[in-house]
Amino acid sequence: MLRILKDLFRYNREFSLGAILILLVVAISLASFLSPYPSGMQYVVPFDAPPSWDHPFGTNSRGQDVFWQLTFAIRNSLLFGTAVALLSRLIAIVVGLTSGYVGGMVDSVLMSINDTFVVFPPFPILVLVYFIFKDHMSWALLAVAMACLGWAYDARLIRSMALSLRTREFTTQSLFSGMSTGQILAEEHLPYVLPIVFATTMNNINWSIGLEVTLSVIGFTNIDTPTIGTMIYWANQHTALVAGVWWWIAFPVGLVIITFVGLYLLSVSMNEYIDPRSRLSGMGGAA
Amino acid sequence: MRILTALSLALGGLVLGQQAQAAEDFLAGIPRNQVLIAENPEGTVTDPSNFNLWVPKPNGTSTGLQQLCMDTLWYIDPDQGLNGKVWDNSLAADKPQYNKDFNEMTVKLRPGIMWSDGVEFTADDVVYTVQTLMADPGGFNDGARMAANVDTVSAPDKDTVVFKLKKPNSRFHAAFTVRWSATWIMPKHVFEKQEKPSKYNFNPPVCLGSYKLKSFDPNGAWFIWQRRDDWQKTTLARFGEPGPNYVAYIDPGPPDKRVILQQNHQLDIIHDTSPEGAFALIKSSPTSHGWFKGFPYAHPDPTLPMVVLNDQLEKFKNPDVRWALALLIDMKAVDMASYRGAATISAIDVPPTGTYPHYYFEPMEQWLKDFTIDTGKRTIHPYDPNMGKEIADMLRPSMGAAIPKDPQAIAAAFGRGWWKQDPQAAAELLEKAGLKEIGGKWMLPDGTPFTITISTEGDNRPVMTRAGSIIAQQWTQAGIDSKIDALPTAMWSNMFNGQNEATMAWTVETWGGHPDLSFFLDSWHSQFLSDPGKFQPPRNWQRWKDPELDKIIEQIRAIDFDDPKGIELGQDFVKLAVKNMPNIPLMSYNVFTIMDSTYWTGYPSAETDPYTDPVPNWGNTKYMMVKLKPAGAQ
Amino acid sequence: MAAYALYVLRRSGQFVLVVFVGINIAFFVTHATPIDPITAAIAAATRFSQADPQAVQLTREALRELYGLQGNLWQQYVVFWMRVARADFGPSLSAFPTPVSTLIWRALPWTFGLLSVATLISWGLGNLLGGLAGYYRRNVPLKLVGVVASGLQPIPNYVMAFIVLVLFGYVWPILPITGSSQINLPQGWTLAYFQSVFQHALLPVLSLVLVGTGAWFIGMRALVSNIVTEDYVAYAELGGVDRWRILISYVMRNALLTQVTGLALSLGLIFNGAVITEVVFGYPGLGNLLIRAVYAGDYSLVIGIASTSIIAVAFAALVIDLVLPLLDPRVRVA
Repeated sequence: MLRILKDLFRYNREFSLGAILILLVVAISLASFLSPYPSGMQYVVPFDAPPSWDHPFGTNSRGQDVFWQLTFAIRNSLLFGTAVALLSRLIAIVVGLTSGYVGGMVDSVLMSINDTFVVFPPFPILVLVYFIFKDHMSWALLAVAMACLGWAYDARLIRSMALSLRTREFTTQSLFSGMSTGQILAEEHLPYVLPIVFATTMNNINWSIGLEVTLSVIGFTNIDTPTIGTMIYWANQHTALVAGVWWWIAFPVGLVIITFVGLYLLSVSMNEYIDPRSRLSGMGGAA
Repeated sequence: MRILTALSLALGGLVLGQQAQAAEDFLAGIPRNQVLIAENPEGTVTDPSNFNLWVPKPNGTSTGLQQLCMDTLWYIDPDQGLNGKVWDNSLAADKPQYNKDFNEMTVKLRPGIMWSDGVEFTADDVVYTVQTLMADPGGFNDGARMAANVDTVSAPDKDTVVFKLKKPNSRFHAAFTVRWSATWIMPKHVFEKQEKPSKYNFNPPVCLGSYKLKSFDPNGAWFIWQRRDDWQKTTLARFGEPGPNYVAYIDPGPPDKRVILQQNHQLDIIHDTSPEGAFALIKSSPTSHGWFKGFPYAHPDPTLPMVVLNDQLEKFKNPDVRWALALLIDMKAVDMASYRGAATISAIDVPPTGTYPHYYFEPMEQWLKDFTIDTGKRTIHPYDPNMGKEIADMLRPSMGAAIPKDPQAIAAAFGRGWWKQDPQAAAELLEKAGLKEIGGKWMLPDGTPFTITISTEGDNRPVMTRAGSIIAQQWTQAGIDSKIDALPTAMWSNMFNGQNEATMAWTVETWGGHPDLSFFLDSWHSQFLSDPGKFQPPRNWQRWKDPELDKIIEQIRAIDFDDPKGIELGQDFVKLAVKNMPNIPLMSYNVFTIMDSTYWTGYPSAETDPYTDPVPNWGNTKYMMVKLKPAGAQ
Repeated sequence: MAAYALYVLRRSGQFVLVVFVGINIAFFVTHATPIDPITAAIAAATRFSQADPQAVQLTREALRELYGLQGNLWQQYVVFWMRVARADFGPSLSAFPTPVSTLIWRALPWTFGLLSVATLISWGLGNLLGGLAGYYRRNVPLKLVGVVASGLQPIPNYVMAFIVLVLFGYVWPILPITGSSQINLPQGWTLAYFQSVFQHALLPVLSLVLVGTGAWFIGMRALVSNIVTEDYVAYAELGGVDRWRILISYVMRNALLTQVTGLALSLGLIFNGAVITEVVFGYPGLGNLLIRAVYAGDYSLVIGIASTSIIAVAFAALVIDLVLPLLDPRVRVA
């Protein structure tokens, strides 16, 4: 395992850059544990100070240090995005592969469920979920709700790949050689769909953080929990951009972009690694 | 290839757009210097083609419709009024005449007023309006109110209306007296042709005001009104010719965008924006200014934001607990957090605005200084008369000349005193009420932790969410775990339905210019109080009940609107509220109405001419039109 | 052919099922909310003006009757379906008595226009560049495009819309930042009107495209780099087939299949982004209408909008599914 990582690091510039970016982001989120201020407290530092040595990312109109707020926010957003992505990937892979390979009635039933979920506009549903739970709306509940809404699209994608895979020769060969359905799916088909799963994981983390931001911006989440979304919410409440407090918005947005570029680079390089032939050509290119 | 074509098209369009934007005005076909553009705070109107504003609907009334097109019998100015007269007889020729039992009201009407379609306005229109509303109490906003009060309404001649009331009501004229809004008069000749008046969309509206509808966005984002050619046949003509040929009410979008639009001189009047946005705008744009020339710039509306406590809940039943919560608040921090220092604070249950400093704040200052409470261990003077001045001093280093120095000006802008933060006294009061502090957390007498959820109206009133958030922090620091729950407007029902603990809202709204408190106070009578957890109609949402309160209200009901004894009774109410602290009053609702004098001058202002409230959704802003003049000779 | 007809029949049956289940869930979720539209209406009507407590109680009773909210959930449910069968969602509660369908029809063209234009541009652009990037994996400019596209993609639509708005409406104020056309310009088939609509759509479309392209780019790149390693591509390369032909006919065509499916299915997701973009730019579409309906507690309007989007997206998916087997003979319909 370590050797693989070392190989990747040495031969794949995208991987090393991505890893560095993600390490940076993770380090920032871990720094939240060192924060001199509790996350929710206001008026602990002067207002609206531009970035300086004392406050590297400046302070906001609520008397909070933007850097330390950001450490909490990125930690919560990352955890949130990852939780949603993992949960929804699990559902998507199982449903997609089974449906595509088994076909027939199973496919029809699964895809009926799937399509019902696909066509739900997630935004109104999430808003309504918030309305129902209101006070009891927690981080975990929102994550589960989003995971339930976020798998169907990718399951459809995976199924369409599995449909093609089923008609390939190697599937027929595996079947003749006596492999079970589960084995065929896990050993033969899964590797083919993994690149797309990785790509969609990135999309899904993006989607969930983006949706969290959207909900937060309109104030439909628990605005007391610092996330990238609620940071922007509070910045908007103080019209930070037109008031010239650009650092309150620029740093959260900048950090979330770094996170995604990092994840993207990792996913691309892992895709290449999963597929041995492109790995060889990649190494050749680097050498 | 097609994609590249599309791309180049888009880029071409960008350049095209640049030219077009530079060449054209913000409004098509109307020269910019002939139109006043104001924000309609309702945003985009859901069904713009419905101008029937007598029916209940969440938007579509402050589109210029109630400000420019409607008219009714009387107006009370929230500030000092045109020519210093707070009361204006608009469609009426005189003040309401009651008989001595207050069960009959006679109104003399102003002759020579015309509807915008050339039909003469007469007493028949008033009679028709009242009868139509009464006949459909569910279909119309004011139907039930008319049905509950009016026995018969008649027009002995075309300039006289006589209301016979079902029961004595010395404030019945309030229904036809504009303070933000009122019951508007319907054109009989238009509505009588409709089978069901409450279903009629009244498009195009036939107006009594000096303006009529020119055009509106089918999607509800803008409404344009045009000055009537026969404006001299309207009530406003007494004050001269309305300045703007056209007035547009638009949805400019969120607060930041309002600032951007005014910086581009595309929005003459911002209804409200964030304190920070307003400060930035005034700093960067020399033509933008507020109600006050300096700090706090905003217009203090005669509305009193407060922490509305649900007094029917067991934990808030004891006045000592409510007082303890008030003493745990650091008002300076609340002022900074909510309004960035630009609040006008009030320790008592009337807003510190309009003529109220004169009627209530100045006369009661000494009483407040002398007021004491018993904490169970000692007696303290909770009032800090210097709070307003201290806030001004605190802001002076950063805001400089924008902060007034004159004590009178400071009192007008920042308010006078408030309750001194006193955690020690608060703890004593809580102990007196039977609460116990265990491990830094307060426990209710039944042993459960004392926690508070403060509901705020998140999407709509950021300033209140900000205030709620800091108050929650202060209470939490004192050992009462508190959090805010920012709700969208539709969820506001929890306050009405008694599900709320504490709410950032207001249950006190006044005429502003006139000292009579019945506008809100009458509804605080225990006869209207609902059971715990049941729907509570406006406005006693703190669900406070006190026999002394009922007595005061009944006394007010028995005297005339202008009786000087009303002020005395009003002060009695204030004292009673201070003793009981049914809600925690904070400050006036300061609206950051920012006016751009690039195209128009003559806006009202606190220092030079406080003739009306510039906040553009007020029905009273019609008086602004006659004062506005084109800037320069462009 | 008979097999295909059967497939069409089955797939259409599924469409009906999807719509039925979807609208049902929308109905019950909406009715489970603690929002009381009557209280919301009263709160709005009595906000600033004087209100007589007695009169408010009377109004409340009257509204309950007027809004047709009497009866238990089951009775309301039956009434609801009887209406939906006639494509009628009843009167809007916040714009009473205007029918919900009137409001939706007024907003729908704007959302449809904004969504379709923005989606087609970002889909086309993303796939073209993503395909190229997957094929020419060592091309530096394409790698840069990848970094930019995937760097923009995670920016929440709200933030992107706001950045675009600040850049082109504030810092360099060249484009309108609010509304769908110039104020006081009459709607009609005039050049001035179209030019104005085009101008007003530029910034919303731009912000949607900037955010939307990345996902297609990443997906296409992953698909193509997968296909490139297939044997038939290697054979074609060894066989000296023109590289452009390989890219277009061998690689992109196969990958596009997945991306076409993705396009139809992502409309529901793109709708999300459009909602908030419409809000930022004050664009008069369904998104803005939805937000207002939610704020006003107008659940007949919320159900109407949710159902409309469910039907629209399900229909798009149906069309794609019916066309897909005709494009790719490997996908058997059985």
